[in-house]
Amino acid sequence: MVKTAIEDFKRNKVRTLLTSLGIMIGVLSVVLLIALGLGLKNYIKQQFESLGANLIIIFPGNISGDEGGGVSNFGAGFAGGASFDEKDLNSLSRINEADYLVPLFMKSSFIEAGTERKFGYVMGTNEQSFKLLNLDLLEGDIFTKGDISARAKKAVLGESLADAIFDNPEDAVGKTIRIAEQRYKVIGVYKKKGDQQQDNAAVVPYKTTYGSLNPDETFFTMYLGTTDETKVDEIKAKAKEILLRRYNKDDFTVTEQTEILSTVNQIFAIVNGVLVAIGSISLVVGGIGIMNIMYATVTERTKEVGIRRAVGATEEDILKQFLTESLLLSLFGGVFGLILASLIVLGVRAFFPASINLLAVIIAFVVSSAIGVFFGVFPARRAAKLPPIEAIRYE
Amino acid sequence: MINLQNVSKSYFLGEEEIKAVDDVSLVIKEKEFIGILGSSGSGKSTLMHLIGLLEQPTSGSVVLENKDVSKLSDRELSEIRNKTVGFVFQSFNLINRFTVLENVLLPTKYSKENLNFDPISRADDLLKRFGILERRNFFPNKISGGQQQRVAIARALIMSPKLILADEPTGNLDSKTGDEIIQILKSLNKDFGVTVILVTHEHDIAKKTKRQIYIRDGHIVEKYL
Repeated sequence: MVKTAIEDFKRNKVRTLLTSLGIMIGVLSVVLLIALGLGLKNYIKQQFESLGANLIIIFPGNISGDEGGGVSNFGAGFAGGASFDEKDLNSLSRINEADYLVPLFMKSSFIEAGTERKFGYVMGTNEQSFKLLNLDLLEGDIFTKGDISARAKKAVLGESLADAIFDNPEDAVGKTIRIAEQRYKVIGVYKKKGDQQQDNAAVVPYKTTYGSLNPDETFFTMYLGTTDETKVDEIKAKAKEILLRRYNKDDFTVTEQTEILSTVNQIFAIVNGVLVAIGSISLVVGGIGIMNIMYATVTERTKEVGIRRAVGATEEDILKQFLTESLLLSLFGGVFGLILASLIVLGVRAFFPASINLLAVIIAFVVSSAIGVFFGVFPARRAAKLPPIEAIRYE
Repeated sequence: MINLQNVSKSYFLGEEEIKAVDDVSLVIKEKEFIGILGSSGSGKSTLMHLIGLLEQPTSGSVVLENKDVSKLSDRELSEIRNKTVGFVFQSFNLINRFTVLENVLLPTKYSKENLNFDPISRADDLLKRFGILERRNFFPNKISGGQQQRVAIARALIMSPKLILADEPTGNLDSKTGDEIIQILKSLNKDFGVTVILVTHEHDIAKKTKRQIYIRDGHIVEKYL
């Protein structure tokens, strides 16, 4: 039966192709949306995972959403709230359970070496940040505590940045770079992490940024880290307590990366759900296209149905024949859509970690088969119920 | 083999009831070669469809091989059509997108039991017997009418049925080709013991059968007028 159906498709190539096109586009859009949604999720997860484990993040504003600030303030820190400074850092340093305390000031800027110039980021932080952010050295060394208090003009460069402004990232050590008209000595280069911002940053002692780069002497974010997972809640509680002495509860957020991740995931689940629902509309339209063609096919083959009935085909045989055809049409579209989606995903992979997972493949097959059966069953039933004699006389 | 008791079949054309077959009782024995003769619209084709289980009677009973067919399911009716009955139609009724061989093999696809023969070699035997073996891979619209009708007969015979129902098998053929087809049907009856029912409106053709039944306005009548 499958063979016969395929031979029929070969005879009607254009019609087969056009009919399957609807399902193909439907499956393509649904699979692609799932793949891109998944990619976005992976991307954000990677960004967070590049920060170490058991990381507590403190930033200005409130993402809990209970005061109407909502998620929009997330990560920005521009939306008002607290501006952290040295004083907060000192208070937080009294939390003995934390193994790391890292301030972060960040500003985008041109970074120059000789005649080369690249748009990158200046990150003012302390020596612990390398460990906390998992930055592995490619060459040279990192700055010390002493360099921070001395406001030493030393910089550790991201590999991408070093590669851009020097002939070789390894050659950077010992050379001089200029940031905002100030000269810094490159003392180290750390390996690429896949994070665009981090890889194009010049990491300098945070006190060195005080002055023209950071006139307010404030930080963008502070991190607390621990090697002991069980201490995370205690550290969070203490950090909140300390900061509440100085700020309102809506002026800052103390959170963990897992919390942020789950918030982000929730948002993406909703957005992705809506997109997939929109994509599904084209699947339904494709299914109606198949139903339409199957009705036409049944009419066209009325006589054939009569002949088949006369030589012994049961109603069930006829039903199966037409169902097989619509199922195959739909599956053909589904597989083609899946292949096309895979090619597109492969294409965008260079820029974006989109991926086709098993779920997408299963959806493509199950949904397209279901559509084939659902929209095929009405025309097939009509064919099966044709009275043999009327069918055979049909011209 | 076939026993029709007070069989009627009526249709509705709008409000009007048309009795195509009206209270017909008829017994046909095994291995008969019988002609059903009637003019156009006399109900002879409907009678044939009733015998061939393509239609169910409005009233009365059709007993085929001791089975009352009115009590059978679609599956059982289809099985009898498949195994016991072979149809030959006026307009050949071959499927044009299938080759000659595929057309002949069609009934074998619907056999609910495993075949006790090799379908392709039997099809080839039949095509050879009817002198059209070299046409086996042709499509029906590329061969002559006489050849198409032979393909139809080969298709009717592939399952070795006991009964062949031929509805105006010569109607679309010239007289010489028509005669050849009648000869084939005759030899099926004579040499292979197949019961053949030949429906026609032509006296000359009906005369070639062993027994004739005349039908007019849905009734069996004594004499053909």
